[in-house]
Amino acid sequence: MESKLMHVFPEKCTACRNCEQACAFAHLHEGRPTRARIRADADPQQREGKNVLVVCYQCDAAACVAACPANALWRDMKTGAVYHVESRCIRCSSCVAACPFGNMRWEPLRQWPSKCDLCGGDPVCTRFCPTGAIQYK
Amino acid sequence: MRQTLATLPALREKLKAERSLLRCIMVCCGTGCRARGGMEVADAIRDELAAAGLADTVKVELTRTGCHGWCEQGPIVTFEPEGVFYTQVKPEKAREIVASFQSGEPVQKLLYRDAKTKRHLVTYHEVPFYSKQTRWAMRNVGRIAPTEIGQYVARDGYKALEKVLSGMSPEDVISQVEKARLRGRGGGGFDAGRKWRSCRKAAGDVKYVICNGDEGDPGAFMDRSIMEADPHGVLEGMILCAYAVGAREGYIYVRQEYPLAVEHLGMAIAAAREYGLLGEGILGTDFSFDIRIARGGGAFVCGESSALMRSVEGRPGEPRAKYVHATDRGLFDKPTVLNNVETFINVPLILDKGAEWFAALGTEGSKGTKAFSVVGKVNHNGLIEVPMGMSLRELIFDVAGGMPKGRSFKGVQTGGPSGGCLPEALLDLPVDFDSLTEAGSMMGSGGLIVMDDRNCMVDVARYFIHFLVEESCGKCVPCRDGLKQLLEILTRITKGKGREEDFGKIEDLCFVLTEGSLCALGKSAANPVLSTVRHFRDEYEEHVRAGYCKAGVCRDLCRYVITDECTGCTLCAKSCPAECISGDRKQVHVIDQEKCTRCGSCFDVCNFGAVAIRGRA
Amino acid sequence: MRCVRPRCRSVEESEMIRLTIDGKRVEARNGEFLLALARREGIEIPTLCHHEAVEPAGACRLCMVEVTKAQWNGFSKLVTACLYPAEEGLVVRTDTERVMKTRREVLELLLARSPRAEAVRRLARQHGITVPKYNVDEEGDNCILCDICTRVCSTLVTGAIARVNRGVAKKVATPFDEASDVCVGCLSCARSCPTEAIAFLDDGLKRTIWGKTFDVVACSVCGAPTVTKEQALWMAQRKGVVEEDFHVCDACKVGKTGQACRKVMW
Repeated sequence: MESKLMHVFPEKCTACRNCEQACAFAHLHEGRPTRARIRADADPQQREGKNVLVVCYQCDAAACVAACPANALWRDMKTGAVYHVESRCIRCSSCVAACPFGNMRWEPLRQWPSKCDLCGGDPVCTRFCPTGAIQYK
Repeated sequence: MRQTLATLPALREKLKAERSLLRCIMVCCGTGCRARGGMEVADAIRDELAAAGLADTVKVELTRTGCHGWCEQGPIVTFEPEGVFYTQVKPEKAREIVASFQSGEPVQKLLYRDAKTKRHLVTYHEVPFYSKQTRWAMRNVGRIAPTEIGQYVARDGYKALEKVLSGMSPEDVISQVEKARLRGRGGGGFDAGRKWRSCRKAAGDVKYVICNGDEGDPGAFMDRSIMEADPHGVLEGMILCAYAVGAREGYIYVRQEYPLAVEHLGMAIAAAREYGLLGEGILGTDFSFDIRIARGGGAFVCGESSALMRSVEGRPGEPRAKYVHATDRGLFDKPTVLNNVETFINVPLILDKGAEWFAALGTEGSKGTKAFSVVGKVNHNGLIEVPMGMSLRELIFDVAGGMPKGRSFKGVQTGGPSGGCLPEALLDLPVDFDSLTEAGSMMGSGGLIVMDDRNCMVDVARYFIHFLVEESCGKCVPCRDGLKQLLEILTRITKGKGREEDFGKIEDLCFVLTEGSLCALGKSAANPVLSTVRHFRDEYEEHVRAGYCKAGVCRDLCRYVITDECTGCTLCAKSCPAECISGDRKQVHVIDQEKCTRCGSCFDVCNFGAVAIRGRA
Repeated sequence: MRCVRPRCRSVEESEMIRLTIDGKRVEARNGEFLLALARREGIEIPTLCHHEAVEPAGACRLCMVEVTKAQWNGFSKLVTACLYPAEEGLVVRTDTERVMKTRREVLELLLARSPRAEAVRRLARQHGITVPKYNVDEEGDNCILCDICTRVCSTLVTGAIARVNRGVAKKVATPFDEASDVCVGCLSCARSCPTEAIAFLDDGLKRTIWGKTFDVVACSVCGAPTVTKEQALWMAQRKGVVEEDFHVCDACKVGKTGQACRKVMW
């Protein structure tokens, strides 16, 4: 069964950071946008349409999965996302160190890893993006 | 030297013929007698035999045997085949002994004197301690040199193995053990045949046989005696088991504190290999099996089967949940049969003489015999093997000689730290697995501690819990933390600081120990406490409510006081180890309560009953 | 897409068995432990020594349940749900008086041992215990010997700590209480501990635990702490990870990703 994909259109991104806010409030106990699972990396030269949205690529050969000693990162067969299983996590932060893209984040207050899991099939960020820079289809 | 099915019978006949011409002087060199100079006695007799020109004949042999099981009478010297029985022999008596060996006139002073009849008895066949026993497991104990395989073979050793490998299938062997209804002698009393059958049925090519020689119960030494005195018997039992279940490797786990057993077993294994009874192609068949010795490290918990297996694997001896049986996944996760020393030593008998013969002795639920180590306040301390079903009364008062003069029976602890105390009212209980368990105790490995009016049952409970606190592996909460709390309460009670609410707490702790513990150590830990509370509750109440220990044991709860019956003979003052009794001759003596340690020596030596045990001032 | 779910296998119909739990008829895989089954059915069973990433230990005895079978003629026994395998026809009860009393007594003992451990206090309160009944060890530390830390370290990391000593002296420690050669300072033990009983210092670029001090690799971009050098090395030795990635913190990696994307796209 073909799953939907998260499409990112960086040229539409204005770095408004609505997505970060939505994600942080939905998932993090801390609600800190800087620790959200999707980050808008604003163009340092502030050129229009050159902002990059950095979010988990749900890699086929995921480095986080390979690095996890406890088998706490599983693949959701429905959405294709790699998701974190808290009950198996031993909080060693190997996954955080392993992800080359910075998409495995570390929640400093709770001392747990967090990553984008496509919200189980209904990504919150998509709903709040005003420009349609993120679409799930 | 390697034997085959063809040559072994001939060898046995030859050895039997040779030995039937022999007269032997047998000196016990088991651990107990060694400690009392048994080896020196043997050396002295050897020298005297040489001096008498009897050293190198085929007609006379000096045999150093293993432990007879009556260490209090040691060093023991016997003559075979006559059965002359000498006790407490010193090396200086060697010449007289050799002289009596030649002349046939026994040395009166060394003979055993029956306390009841006051007669000197010449042979051990007449001595009630021995004559009333049925020594099946201990059939060779004290009768052979344990390190001489030939002597074992001559007494029908390895005959069962020969018979089995000559035409019985593994299934036949299991069937015999099942029909004999042999139950484990280590404490669990589990049906051995059923265990062997489960192991045989389990999937896999690699299986193990383990002999549990850990024997951790304080005071128990049946397995020590058997391992020291008849190591080949243990090996033969294991080999038969391995054949039955399909194992190629076996281990004997011997506790750290039994170096002589390790030595004798090691020598026996080497000899068995030489003779083709262990190793590749046993007795020329295609059945192969070998045995290694694993030593314990000084932990009682390693007598528990799953902890023992972890220990053999080189891991800390911690038990695991037994929801998956060892016969499916045991040592190194392979199907394993683990049985006790005494269980294995019965196996050759069953296969040689037949299951029906074995099952003819004993009760409905418990067949065969059981070896008990009877210790404590009883006339004869030692190893007593009797048919299952004999009453405790007969065992203690008949075979073990009853209470010493002036003492009254109070209770008997059966089964060590996992068992319970039974009072006089239950003395007519038969010794078998089920009767003792129903009464709130258990047979355990066979330890029997006899107690009299001078044993404080609260202190007995405290003693066992203290032992278990030290020996708990510490993995599970109920045992590790529960025993600690229980010890704290019992100690307080013996110090006069018991509270009424302690009774409820004791019950609750015993409940969680029994229901919640991971292994049998914890599960049975409550038994000594529950049984003493059940049968001797008045003593607990007296300790808590009246602050009085009438047995005179708990220091803070009693005083030894000299009454007016005192004649001033000064015997007590002379025997007091604390030197706290003062008084002139023919004057009533006085005990200094500050210095008194409550040892009870004065009470014991006084011939006038002038020492009383009173409550604290 | 590669499936990475562990123990992912299709279950044959014939492997499913039927049993009841708290009166509810359920299906389970043959041999599945009762605890997982109960939780799947929404039945709450308290645990302290259970952790999904490691083998069950059956040490805390909180998850005891009462089981019986028709063939047992009225006999029933208490077993730990975390280790007892499901069997055809098993009748499981998680709330009998015998079970609840055992749980309460275990909590009383733990409370007396570790009076300050929050997880124990919470569970004790939930089971109606307010004033501890037994002799409380006021100096008692929070370690309840659940062995999660030792199981995590020995089966998933490097095996730097283990249980030592016997009985009440039992504790978790490195060999001879000395700094361990193999400890990588990942803090998994301390973070997995249900009662926060493992002390450690995590002070920016220095970390100390089990008597060993580690240098934490600083992010080459912003200088924030990442992981210890030893952990980076250990991770690099496991298949599929590259050591260079460890020298940048997750936030700066985002920036680098953005930079790389920009280069590629525009």
